[in-house]
Amino acid sequence: MALPDVKEKWSGRVNPVTLGATKAEGGTRGRTVTIGGQSGIPFLGFDGEIPHPPAIALDVLDKAPLDWPKPLAEIYGDVWSDPAAWARRVKELGADLVNLRLTSTHPDEGDAPPEKAVETVRAVLEAVDLPLIIWGCDVPAKDQAVMPKVAAAAQGENCLLGAVTEAEYRTLTAAAQAYGHKLIAMAPCDINKSKQVNILVSDTGYPLTDLVIYPTTASLGYGMEYVYSILERGRLAALAGDRLMAQPVILDVGHEAWRSKEARSGDEVADCWGPGEARGPAWEAVTAADLLQGGADLLILRHTKTLEVVRRLLRELAGAADVAHV
Amino acid sequence: MIIFSERINGMYRDVRGAIAEKDKKIVHELLRAQLAGGADVIDINIGPTKGDAVENFLWLAQNVHELSDKPISLDSAKPNLLTEVVPRVRRALPGAKLVINSCTAAADYMDKLIPLAARNHTGLVGLTMDQEGVPGNVEKRVECGATVLMAAIEGGISVEDIYLDPIVLPINVAAKQPSHVLEAIRQLAAVSDPPPHFIVGLSNISQKCPMHRMLNRTYLVMCLAAGLDAAIMDAADQDLVEAVISAEVLLGKHLYSDDYVKAWRMQKGL
Repeated sequence: MALPDVKEKWSGRVNPVTLGATKAEGGTRGRTVTIGGQSGIPFLGFDGEIPHPPAIALDVLDKAPLDWPKPLAEIYGDVWSDPAAWARRVKELGADLVNLRLTSTHPDEGDAPPEKAVETVRAVLEAVDLPLIIWGCDVPAKDQAVMPKVAAAAQGENCLLGAVTEAEYRTLTAAAQAYGHKLIAMAPCDINKSKQVNILVSDTGYPLTDLVIYPTTASLGYGMEYVYSILERGRLAALAGDRLMAQPVILDVGHEAWRSKEARSGDEVADCWGPGEARGPAWEAVTAADLLQGGADLLILRHTKTLEVVRRLLRELAGAADVAHV
Repeated sequence: MIIFSERINGMYRDVRGAIAEKDKKIVHELLRAQLAGGADVIDINIGPTKGDAVENFLWLAQNVHELSDKPISLDSAKPNLLTEVVPRVRRALPGAKLVINSCTAAADYMDKLIPLAARNHTGLVGLTMDQEGVPGNVEKRVECGATVLMAAIEGGISVEDIYLDPIVLPINVAAKQPSHVLEAIRQLAAVSDPPPHFIVGLSNISQKCPMHRMLNRTYLVMCLAAGLDAAIMDAADQDLVEAVISAEVLLGKHLYSDDYVKAWRMQKGL
């Protein structure tokens, strides 16, 4: 009996979004990274084109993290008091992009002034030639003081700035628009809000094609399937032609996975859960692998083993010879 | 939903006057309002105008096309007129997407209009009636609809270019017909996979009714729930268009957002 043809006819396509700018493009990056562009569901090569594999960013914080567990300290502990050195490390480890968090600007994390943040961004841009994702501290009043200055300092580098929300989008959108950066549009686990943020941002004149959707993230065991269903619905809407949902998606997998007790606990629970050094990366990798199936284009990760496993998975799922952006 | 603008129709006195005077300004003004409201296809009908019907049709089509490259639906109940008009419009507007509106399930209509549509690469609106007139029941509607649908597919018209019109009659004349139309749409949707489009001439429902705008709006929403995906309607009626968008959001055709009407307009580039 012949198998039925299950190929779908899609009218839409995920927007391709290019991050970073080389010298020729007015920046100083060694290369750019393009995400999105698919015209079918994830990893179904027969369903549509998949011109760009999902990209991977590794985390860099602008201050030494106080709560990162041992498996991560082993990789970054010697560099994490210096964001430039940390950025060099993530490049060596094979990241496509540097995910820089301006944690120290948070009022409870040192309340560093905008000038300090600008200094950090400049140092990281000088240290590595990878494209940058830059996040504020998620306190709107502070981000509104910091992010426009950061955006100006990184002018020409075509960074990805995070994040605008339904309530707070004007300042960051204006800064991204003025200094030529891409934007992360965040709507925590709410697909309708996700569309709404895109409408609001687009209404200010910022191009829909320069946005990246951030539906927030939940790890394995902590509501991951809820995020999965949001990814899936968003992607199906995009492929059905909804231009307001056609943006590629960024997920913060590392941060979420390493918050779980399963990833954080060490060998004190090894008797029932196995050794800590394997468990954390596994938790992160399983979360990444699952969410990629729902439709994610840019993952922020932490552990090198996760990076390795996800790259291999992408290779096997895509059946492509080379899925690294390197 | 595919909005066929109903307004460029010689049944309206202003359009009739414009055709008689060859005053394209009036046509363009009406058309602009229809396009701004979200019209996807411009239905043109010369109505009871004086003069050469073929020339009048051509004049109307050319002036519509001058302002917009949206598809044009050539609307006439006279197959002989359409036989003359369609090739002329096709030659005058070689790039335009055209729809022939309409063809009944009567053999002599289908024999003329289906090959005409295939030859001139146009879409086709098929009516669920035959030489005996508009059916008084659901069964005959479905039979006529299936007949014209199958004949059109066999005639080489692809199903995405076929619109079935189950024929809306005024509520103040034929009380049972509106519900027959809904049921006919539901049943005809199962006849082919993928199904054709379903279209109604909406304003018929409320002819000479004082509450015509409310009736149009309510009935269109009911039709959408039954599977309708096109209507000949006044695209400049904002309440009507917003009812359509709301119904489609509720039917899961568009993703909801608080500004869903704006989203729909952005999506259309309005």
